[in-house]
Amino acid sequence: MTDILDARGLRKTYQMGEHRVRALDGVDFCVRKGEFVAIMGPSGSGKSTLLHLLGGLDKPSEGEVTLAGQRLSILDDKQATLVRRRNIGFIFQFFNLLPTLSTEENVALPLIIDGQNPRKHEERITYLLELVGLKDRRRHKPDQLSGGEQQRVAIARALITSPAMVLADEPTGNLDSKTGTLVMDLLRRSCDELGQTIVIVTHDSRAAAYADRVVFLRDGRISTEMLCEGVADMAQRVRAVLETMERLAN
Amino acid sequence: MKHTLAMAIRSLRARPSRTLLTVAGIVLGVAVILAISITNLSTLDSLAGVFSAASGKANLVVLSATDNEEGFAERVRGVVLGTPGVQDAVPSLQMTVFLAGQDLAGQRETSMLGGATIRLVVYGIDPSIDDRAREYAAVEGSLLPSDLNAYEIVLVKEYADEHEIEVGEDIDLLTEAGLETVRVTGLISKEGVGQTNNGAFGVMPLGAAQEIFGRTGDLDQIDVIAAPGHADGDGLDALQSALEDRLGTAYTVAYPASQGKRVVQMLDVYQMGLSFFSVIAIIVGAFLIYNTFTMTVVERTREIGMLRTVGMTSRQVMGQIMTESVILGVVGAGLGVGAGVLMARGLIRLMEYLLNQPVREVQVPFGGLLTSIGIGLAVTLFASGIPAMQAGRISPLEALRVRGNQREQWWVRRGWPWGIGLLLIAVAGFYVRVSSSIQYYVSNGAVTLMSVGAMFIIPVTVHAWVLVLSPLLRGLYKGEGQLGTRNIERGKQRTTMTVIALMVSIGMVYSIQALAESFRVDVQAWIDGYIGGDLYVYSGRALRYDLGQRLEAVSGVEAVTPMRRVDVKVLKADGTQDTLAYYAYDPESYRRVTSFVFSDPKADSEMLMDRLAQGDVVFISTVVSDKYDLVPGDTIRLETRRGQRDFEVGAIVSEFNDRGFALEGSWKDLRRYFGVNDVSAFQIKISPGASQAQVEAEIDRLYGERQHLTIESNEAMKAEAMSVVSQAFSMFDVLAIIAVIVAALGVINTLTMSVLERTREIGMLRGVGMTRWQVVKMILAEAGTVGVMGGVFGVVYGLFMSRLFIGGANITQGYQLSPVIPTQGLIAGLVIAIVVSQVAALMPASRAARLEVIEALQFE
Repeated sequence: MTDILDARGLRKTYQMGEHRVRALDGVDFCVRKGEFVAIMGPSGSGKSTLLHLLGGLDKPSEGEVTLAGQRLSILDDKQATLVRRRNIGFIFQFFNLLPTLSTEENVALPLIIDGQNPRKHEERITYLLELVGLKDRRRHKPDQLSGGEQQRVAIARALITSPAMVLADEPTGNLDSKTGTLVMDLLRRSCDELGQTIVIVTHDSRAAAYADRVVFLRDGRISTEMLCEGVADMAQRVRAVLETMERLAN
Repeated sequence: MKHTLAMAIRSLRARPSRTLLTVAGIVLGVAVILAISITNLSTLDSLAGVFSAASGKANLVVLSATDNEEGFAERVRGVVLGTPGVQDAVPSLQMTVFLAGQDLAGQRETSMLGGATIRLVVYGIDPSIDDRAREYAAVEGSLLPSDLNAYEIVLVKEYADEHEIEVGEDIDLLTEAGLETVRVTGLISKEGVGQTNNGAFGVMPLGAAQEIFGRTGDLDQIDVIAAPGHADGDGLDALQSALEDRLGTAYTVAYPASQGKRVVQMLDVYQMGLSFFSVIAIIVGAFLIYNTFTMTVVERTREIGMLRTVGMTSRQVMGQIMTESVILGVVGAGLGVGAGVLMARGLIRLMEYLLNQPVREVQVPFGGLLTSIGIGLAVTLFASGIPAMQAGRISPLEALRVRGNQREQWWVRRGWPWGIGLLLIAVAGFYVRVSSSIQYYVSNGAVTLMSVGAMFIIPVTVHAWVLVLSPLLRGLYKGEGQLGTRNIERGKQRTTMTVIALMVSIGMVYSIQALAESFRVDVQAWIDGYIGGDLYVYSGRALRYDLGQRLEAVSGVEAVTPMRRVDVKVLKADGTQDTLAYYAYDPESYRRVTSFVFSDPKADSEMLMDRLAQGDVVFISTVVSDKYDLVPGDTIRLETRRGQRDFEVGAIVSEFNDRGFALEGSWKDLRRYFGVNDVSAFQIKISPGASQAQVEAEIDRLYGERQHLTIESNEAMKAEAMSVVSQAFSMFDVLAIIAVIVAALGVINTLTMSVLERTREIGMLRGVGMTRWQVVKMILAEAGTVGVMGGVFGVVYGLFMSRLFIGGANITQGYQLSPVIPTQGLIAGLVIAIVVSQVAALMPASRAARLEVIEALQFE
């Protein structure tokens, strides 16, 4: 498998008042196509900073990030924005859906921003809504959805452009454990069934368990990595157990 | 208390843009009220002062009751001097002349006071005693010698400089008898009596004046200096009564400044309009302040919840918000005073232009100062009171909640029935007939009710607006346009407040246009009648009646009609008198040249003109009809040479000369009852096909020099008169601009808050690929939606407001203006609303675009 993302020698320093804070201190990080990677670490370890640099939301003080062959550091703001729009799907902790748009419109948001007519992508939108189990809620507004449902919409939105990579920042941070499991299962399925490359930042070990590889950060550096084998099977097993429990409850 | 103040100041400093915008709104509101107060007072003071200065130190003035320009005999001075309590009686003869050799047309100016030709006003005085009544400040040469028969004159320096006249020079005065040469011996400053006739004033020895003007033995005025003990209060009243008893009804004994009363009356409606629209500007400011404080409370919900959690009571929270309000109110009002003084300077210059009269700026009136500061503070406190109460009701749990959508006030969701009710009451204001003294308050009340009613109704229309405008704005701003348009539904309360502010200001813009157009239409109709025919012929001296026949004999002239204006005294039922203008016409020739504009469209003009020709009949203006409660068939009593006489009211006509305080009568009555037979001007109608230029040239050749005639085209005169009307409304335009600025501040405020509330969302949009320019377009689309709403509602509101004001003016002033719907005004109102919304959105839009994605995502 080829590397879809390659980050070399990443350093990031912030000025906070009179102090200089070194958030990242020399990180080399790569992700293969179709891989599911989780980044973990204690507070202040630099995991969110790393995610921001990988997504082109920020520029490193040193080092380089290359996504699908495109060096991000040489892009100006507009070019970086277009890369995010077409090649990266973002999932945020607080869902961040637009309250004035319906479910299907929120899913189609990157297309709307790109000036495309969502009606021409009806099939893809329907497919993704089915994938996240919200096809029958397509006309509902966010305030009519639960937290888990909103996050599922956000996942569908992140997948609408078939991006090179999906980045998720604490995707289960605002959800209860059961809902969080459902969301992680969705992400796993998109990786297994769609071949989607996914990188998540999380402090939730159960969420991290869905990843093929877990990278641990500490004090701005990669401390250790852990390869997880058979995660797809594990996810399938968990899914089967949950479905059985659901059937029994009904 | 100290901590409350300190926290309030810190809170205001933490939001500098919001604080500045709110203060700006208060400053503008206070400035408008104070500026109008200063301008009105300065204008009234200057006008009254002009008349007062003309008599300077005099306590009373004696005038002829008939105002037939014949004055009275010199011996009357002896009678006055012989009255106990009179210390001095200073005589004067008052004439108006032209300076010969000058372009008469160039000496004619039109002003709001209806003034026509500026002639040189000349007082014939007794130099040895005149300084007991009037003060002269000599700046060059010397004042008059004591020789009463010296052909010498003292002029005002500014006038002399304008006409390039120097001390020692001989000048020619154009009089009834012809040209008379006098020598300029000195120049006085344009102060005190030098302000008379805007400085076109001179004094000469009484004897010489009587001789030159053919008024030997005559006086026009005696200025009475009262003896100590009789100079004021009851003593002066008693002296006035004593003089009236001694002199009889043929004379009027008046206070000097009261002569300005009629002039001052003419400004009533103008000042009423200024005050009316200043109230509107305050309404806009109030909505701005309410909106700002509401947004502040929402923004600080979690902070306030936290304060409640740590023990702050509801009352303390309210006190905190109100303290901020007081600080803003005090600062805004203070700055508003300064801005008001500056604004007043500009308005006063404009008023000077309109009145063609210098207006001296009064000291800032203490009452006006208190009023404007008081209103500014009161509006600020009132408008912020409701949000303060809402802040007090925030529970401590708010501190622990994730930020959600602001819960809308009850009136947003359920207030629309109230809105309909208030609008119906406001509309009823059109049809309720009240006395003119409270009409002003009824109109203001109706306008306020309409604003509040609209506030309750607009929220339920928001969704419909989104449906209608979304496709349009998507076409303009693409996908971002659709996102922006829908955003207005998220804060209906906020959107409503902004739309109201725009609505009221655009309503002002439109209603001023409609008002101006109504005036123009009616004035145009009147001017077409008044300045009828094709040519207007006049002279520096009174013309003979028979000149009309000779003019009619000129080739190309179809008809000629004479006109004469005199002042007459109207005797009221309570025994008091008013002065009106009496315009005399020859009905027979008048109808061949032009026509009156009758207020009754079904009037039989031929029959009425025949009645006028028979005599003992007058036509009255709508203003006179309203003021004296007269209708056709009633009688009006005038003071004439033959005593008091009743004239039948034949018809009501449009008349804008003398601000409508005028009567139209026949030549027959002018001769018979007022002893006047000369002519002020002739109106000439040219035969079809004849060349106006040739007729003009022929008249000038035959009579121009001999009769010292000035011939003017009526088209030029009409255009000049109409331009005065246009200029008069420019002052209202200033108020409208201020209201629009305040509304724009409201738009900035609202959008800034909207951006702040959606910071994280904007971060998300940037994260998923929205460029900075797309963020700007989204905000502009949101603003544009609000702008269109404000424009449409504003034009409708303006329609109501203009009808209200026109109705009010008709009731209080006796006009019969016809409401007009200017299409240009409709379009202009919409365009202004949209442009203002877009320009006002630029700042918050660029702020939104500059948000750093990561900070925005982490914003709480």
